[in-house]
Amino acid sequence: MKVTFSIQLLFLSLIFLFNGCSDKLTRVMPYEKEHFADVKMSLSPLAERAEHEGHIFLIREASAGGDSAYQGGCGCR
Amino acid sequence: MVPFLKTYASGLKDSASFGLDTYSDNNDVQVYSPTFELMKTVSKNWLVGVKLRVDAIAAASIRFGYSPKVGNSINAQATASKKSTFQDMRYAPTFFVTYDDGENAATVGGYYSTELDYVGKALFASYTKQLNQGNTVLGIGLSQSADKWSPNNGRVLPRDNRDERKVDLSVNQLISTTLSLQFVYSYMNSQGFLSSPYINNITENYPSTRTGHAFAVKGLKFIDDDNSMNFSYRYYTDDWGIKSHTFGTEWLHDVNNNLMIGLRGRYYTQTAANFTKPIASYTATDTYKASEYRMSAFNSYDIGIPITYKPSEYSPYKFSFSVDYYRTSDNAFIENWFGNKHIQAVYTTFRVDYDF
Repeated sequence: MKVTFSIQLLFLSLIFLFNGCSDKLTRVMPYEKEHFADVKMSLSPLAERAEHEGHIFLIREASAGGDSAYQGGCGCR
Repeated sequence: MVPFLKTYASGLKDSASFGLDTYSDNNDVQVYSPTFELMKTVSKNWLVGVKLRVDAIAAASIRFGYSPKVGNSINAQATASKKSTFQDMRYAPTFFVTYDDGENAATVGGYYSTELDYVGKALFASYTKQLNQGNTVLGIGLSQSADKWSPNNGRVLPRDNRDERKVDLSVNQLISTTLSLQFVYSYMNSQGFLSSPYINNITENYPSTRTGHAFAVKGLKFIDDDNSMNFSYRYYTDDWGIKSHTFGTEWLHDVNNNLMIGLRGRYYTQTAANFTKPIASYTATDTYKASEYRMSAFNSYDIGIPITYKPSEYSPYKFSFSVDYYRTSDNAFIENWFGNKHIQAVYTTFRVDYDF
């Protein structure tokens, strides 16, 4: 329960931080975002590889998370 | 894998894809995985999707449930499933529904997988919101699984469930017209039988709960029209005492309007669990024991080449291929279990996407 509350607090803090303070960051206007539509600028430029390697690293190593994606469990690990 | 958090190029579209993934390592483990994915818009803002993954696995587990090698006794390699035939098939469909109005996006879905000795069931949901004219994207993802073991070696487990909960929080921020950063925090909690039922219960016993935290930062840098770089770092820690650092970087280059190639590297290092000892030093008074290498300290690296090909700018087809070489450091636990000092593997992916 304490951990859940901490997570909620962290998330609310992030919302507050970026909803307010991000106004002060350099703002990229919509007509300046063409580079971010490029395939090379994707966090997962090869979706198939992202899924496959995520599964392999999950099986071969003891760490997980940080990937902002869902992958189901299996009996391999 | 269903991405919880899209980046800045959004928009729902109809698409279908077929893929084939492979994995092969120096311990005779081979996996061939055909994948299929279909996404169909049902209105301007709604999309339904289905994914199916089939894993044909050779030597996935210790076939007869013997213990790993201790002294001159039987070793795991000799008892593992042989690669001459597929010992296990895993079928893993995923269903999901996505809503996207350009500023808000939400996905809910379910996952079910079945294999010889394991059933996985899970529900997941995510929500992202764009702020500040899309310069900032906040996201949250939740998943809860309720998996069940049914070992084929007849072993009666103290508990047959493995339930996992994951919460992802993320922030994507455009820093400039050529640089964006993503920060991700993941909370993970597992309960149930968290070891492998094929490792002898005298030499292997883990706690029945585990809580982990991961903090990651990822960056995308547009260099020029033909080149970009991405980089990532993740720190992981859990209440079993395992800590890890993961570094990754990738360079992507447009050879021409149709062909993109790249080169990437990844380095991973982890500490041992706090109950892990040299295998021969466990005593009867040790509550928890681990002889499996994933509970020990080791490093690994990965080098890979990605390639994508699109026949023309307006072609509905896109082809992608990747090949990676993965290798762990030399490790006494790996040698005890597999007979080789390290694990080295080659894995590939191939996929055809069709937009209609």
